Amino acid sequence: MAAGAVVVASKIDTEGALLGNMIAEMIAARGVAVERRIQLGPTNIVRAALLAGQIDLYPEYTGNGAIFFHRESDPVWKNAAQGYAEVKRLDAAENRLAWLSPAPANNTWVIAIRGDLAGFAERKCLDDLAAYLAEGGRFKLAASAEFVESPSALPAFEKTYGFHLKAQQLLTLSGGNTAATLRAAAEGISGVNAAMAYGTDGELAALGLSALCDDKGAQIVYAPAPVARQAVLDQHPEIAAVLEPVFASLSLETLQALNARIAVAGEDAGAVAADYLKSKRLLP
Amino acid sequence: MSGPAMPAIGAGTRFPAIQVHNHVLSVLVVVAAVAVATLGFVTVAPNRLISGRPVALWLAADPRFGVAIALFGALLLATAFVPPRRELHFAAAAIAAVLFLLVLAAAGQSAGALMTSASPARRVSLGAGFWVLLGASGLAVLDGLQRARAGIVSQLAVAVAITVGFAAMAEAGLFDALSLAREYHTRQDLFAGALIRHTVLVAAAIGPAVLIGFPLGVAAVRRPGWQGSVFAVLNLLQTVPSIALFGLLIVPLAAVATSVPSLARLGVGGIGMAPALIALVLYALLPVVRSTVAGIGGVDSAVVDAARGMGMTRRQRFWRVELPLAAPVLLAGLRIVTVQAIGLAVVAALIGAGGLGTFVFEGLGQYAADLVLLGALPAIGLALAADFLLQNTTALLCRRTAR
Repeated sequence: MAAGAVVVASKIDTEGALLGNMIAEMIAARGVAVERRIQLGPTNIVRAALLAGQIDLYPEYTGNGAIFFHRESDPVWKNAAQGYAEVKRLDAAENRLAWLSPAPANNTWVIAIRGDLAGFAERKCLDDLAAYLAEGGRFKLAASAEFVESPSALPAFEKTYGFHLKAQQLLTLSGGNTAATLRAAAEGISGVNAAMAYGTDGELAALGLSALCDDKGAQIVYAPAPVARQAVLDQHPEIAAVLEPVFASLSLETLQALNARIAVAGEDAGAVAADYLKSKRLLP
Repeated sequence: MSGPAMPAIGAGTRFPAIQVHNHVLSVLVVVAAVAVATLGFVTVAPNRLISGRPVALWLAADPRFGVAIALFGALLLATAFVPPRRELHFAAAAIAAVLFLLVLAAAGQSAGALMTSASPARRVSLGAGFWVLLGASGLAVLDGLQRARAGIVSQLAVAVAITVGFAAMAEAGLFDALSLAREYHTRQDLFAGALIRHTVLVAAAIGPAVLIGFPLGVAAVRRPGWQGSVFAVLNLLQTVPSIALFGLLIVPLAAVATSVPSLARLGVGGIGMAPALIALVLYALLPVVRSTVAGIGGVDSAVVDAARGMGMTRRQRFWRVELPLAAPVLLAGLRIVTVQAIGLAVVAALIGAGGLGTFVFEGLGQYAADLVLLGALPAIGLALAADFLLQNTTALLCRRTAR
């Protein structure tokens, strides 16, 4: 381990690799020694490694504060600004961790439907789904067990928009992998015509699926933001300012497009990250 | 009942009966032929995420490949009907090796043809028919070598010939259009590192596992009362999921690294190599101890008594009698442990230790089967190579002790 190097990590998934590489590129460009631990592991491993001081910073989602601090039922997480302020306050007080500026994107749970599902308006929202279901439209959703059971996920959608999915309208997969649910919907496996997805998933357009908008805010907001150990920021105070314009530039559409380059076209996450930063003139 | 006017053909003159001499080979060829006829040789998908549509061999590949594969398949089948001779088995192995390379070349050529003037997002992947055909010709090579009782040298020669043929075709860019090769090209810079890291992980885990497991196994043989509790603990360790073990190891290992800076400089910490190695060693202990108990405990007590009667000391009895007699079982155990560790080391990617699992888990996350294969196929290759190496070492050592 290089002495004094800032250890940049990320989660194992596509967006983790993308954002982790962006953070590492930006910090390294400022002449700070960086050790890359990109795609270190699943959320619990990366979070534990940060708390144990084994890594220095990684991109995390504001809404996961609900799980980290066991406050799943708190409505604060459903508001982007308030949720960010809350997780920032809690992590600073309890763990000496600093949440840097988040991206104006929301990688929350969404329900995506096949393009050939009839009877939806041009602007597809969950209200339309409630109307479609009330008329007895054929519907089968592929989703993870967590999405189906967690009070903040499907039950929150059902409560807010006034519909109820019967057991035979659900195909529950034990893992939480949206790649599997999206493919089930795209290929109509077992009659599935809708899938649990994440807002910034890049695959939706390529698979002919569209996400239903949650305009009543039923879901927790998951905005990506770098979270760092305060001790490291004290040593390298410039990090916050270096990352701020990067995350500010990452809108939902931008993240979807970049994720698609990795997941659909199969490009390398590091190359996509560097390419994006250069195109935005954030890197020379 | 046939009429009396019908002449009884063959009653007097016996034609040589057509007889299958090699049932394994004939079954392999028939299975491969059925697979080619019914399954897709390659699959074509509009992009990386969607499952492909199967395309049969004769529609995908240049007709010359189809003809050559059919020809060599027929030739291989013909050898099954000839009375067995050593030279025949070698010939069958050689034909099967050529067939193996032909199948690979046909897949590469098909992909190239299907990708020309297609959108770059299109993906051509290897189909079920390809895998059956490749597997059948691979097994036919092994069958031929085994029946010919081929020595290490000829076995190695065949392995080298196939590897060189594959490498030459890869170097010529024959496979470049295949989805698997495109995944490889994206991660070319990482691949060699991941392969080396995987091998290092396995090698570094086997050493401590043997150093701890062997004495533990010997102790369990000497004191049978301990066996129950030793195996209870080891069995329990085997059932702890690797991801849970990693989670449990982060905090104590991080604490060790902070309090002993020299260890931290060696790379010991809550993430990376250290927790991965600990997990691999713990999982390898059970098979090591089991085969030690089976090997040392299985030595005929009459032989040990005889050695005692000859005046051998306890140490002499162990090193000169028990260990050599148990060696075949111990080495077979080592083979199992090594192959198992090569497979298990894939999970090391979950704690940031790298290795081939990096590709497997990234591929699983993106539902990109070819990326999963990019991690899985080299792991299978490593396992086969290790198995071949250890098997021949065992054979060599046991021949020497038997002499």
